[in-house]
Amino acid sequence: MTDSQELSVEEAAFIDSLVDHYREHELGRAERLADALLRLAADRSLRPHIHSLKMRAKDPEHLRDKLRRKLIKCKVEGSEFVITKANLFAKVNDLAGIRILHLHTAQFPTINQILKQLLQSEEYEIIEGPKARIWDAEYAGIFEGYGIQTESNSRLYTSVHYIVATGNREVRTAEIQVRTLAEELWGEVDHTLNYPHPTVITTCQEQIKVLARVTSSCTRLVDSIFLANQAGAPKA
Amino acid sequence: MADLMEQIEERIAAPRLSIFNHKGGVGKTTLTVNLAFALAAKGHQVLLVDSDPQCNLTSYLIEDTVVNDLLDKSDGENGQTVWSALKPVVEGTGQAELLEPIAVSTRIHLIPGDVRLAEFEAELGTLWSECFQRKVRGFRGTSALSAVVNAAASTVNADVVLYDTGPNIGPLNRIILLDCDYFMVPAACDLFSIRAMKTLGHTLSSWISDWKTISDLAPSNLYVLPGLPKPIGYIPQRFRLYNSTAASASAKWLPQIEKTFRADLLRVLERVDESLAGHAPSPLSLGAIPDFGSRASEAQREGVPLWRASYGTGVQRSAAKHYFFKLADSIIERAELGSL
Repeated sequence: MTDSQELSVEEAAFIDSLVDHYREHELGRAERLADALLRLAADRSLRPHIHSLKMRAKDPEHLRDKLRRKLIKCKVEGSEFVITKANLFAKVNDLAGIRILHLHTAQFPTINQILKQLLQSEEYEIIEGPKARIWDAEYAGIFEGYGIQTESNSRLYTSVHYIVATGNREVRTAEIQVRTLAEELWGEVDHTLNYPHPTVITTCQEQIKVLARVTSSCTRLVDSIFLANQAGAPKA
Repeated sequence: MADLMEQIEERIAAPRLSIFNHKGGVGKTTLTVNLAFALAAKGHQVLLVDSDPQCNLTSYLIEDTVVNDLLDKSDGENGQTVWSALKPVVEGTGQAELLEPIAVSTRIHLIPGDVRLAEFEAELGTLWSECFQRKVRGFRGTSALSAVVNAAASTVNADVVLYDTGPNIGPLNRIILLDCDYFMVPAACDLFSIRAMKTLGHTLSSWISDWKTISDLAPSNLYVLPGLPKPIGYIPQRFRLYNSTAASASAKWLPQIEKTFRADLLRVLERVDESLAGHAPSPLSLGAIPDFGSRASEAQREGVPLWRASYGTGVQRSAAKHYFFKLADSIIERAELGSL
């Protein structure tokens, strides 16, 4: 391990001061922002198209790990670490977050359309996205067909992300993720084992990758079932 | 009708003040009216806002038959009271509407009060919770009165706005205080006024810090209440005079009022926000107002300031004028109204 991959005492103390600031001053806000977005997504207009909702404010310890990783990355790359107490909520986009879970992919265009309207009605600004993180080529095509920007990812999950901002003197951001229930299963397993530190057990690493393929197939199968169901439904 | 909320691009410069104390009977309305006349005499354009559902200020300045007529018609198309402007917000039919203030004199205009303002107040509890949930409806509702005042002040070119408030710490006074740039506290020379000041300090500090929490997440393109009412001092009220100095029974309370105002109001608010400090220099009193006895109610009956009331002697009239003009001068200085 080289020196640049470790934090000096001063650097570690700086990260700690950011985390303390978050815990004392921003955590309550993050919780309120996540709660406000949850209420928004629970609107009657969106309900028929989704399965369930989740919300969370970032755990301070997870933030500490994230900031440490970012600082080390900056040192390795020789770039500047720009996060301060003042811009923490604007630079770290997932201090507050909600997740919208749905059953099958064909529901997404409607969810996207309604979600955008809801965000607009409460004066949230979408500053990034929707962007679909996809590893499966067939699904990349499907989301591009919906007019959604796609981004391939090596971590084998499928999820659509939005970054929204509150506005006002100090911009505060939050993340909205939209994914299928099947993807949520993979996400939860992956998160439990790999977050904040990746598992070192090779078998688990392997099986999580296999689970991603099974998950993808599962979403594909659910999509197919609903497509068949819709095609076979008697005409009104 | 014009949608006020869409029109507000910025808050007009005229400072908004209120004479605030939740203890009743300290002479808030008499003080507000006489202060308005004193400020007008010094060349200021004053907009008075009767934001007390009891309508005392409106009754003071406008004849009873006219007040009756205003209240009868306030619910209709061309209503002229504060309720007429806020009704769409309460009934959920739209935003607050434009209101033409009534001219009391060339330099004083009034937004008349209305007993139905109590209905707006009832809705404010919900609107306040919606602000905590970062809902646009909550922000629009809580700033509706402020928007009405903004437009009215702009129509009459007011350079100062005075709110008259009811004697309570309810949700209506909360949005009024959060709309004010400055406030002053009338205090009678008695134990209850001093006790009330303590509650006031705690209440105001929780309002201000709640509003900070709320506005932290507010959308940038909405008009929201400023939420930083700066204390500029207190006004000892209704003390007895003896050879032009405060009689001992009243005077003994003055140091206590000074001490309580500093410790339980100024210090408490400064801890919430540093910018609230420094607007009330020592002595914190803005100028004492003596007890005018029955002359106050006589002036009220005539709808004029004390120094123009027909009742009383010339010496009494000029003394009243002296006290209110002195008070106006301190307020002009501390609220940075600028001399004209």
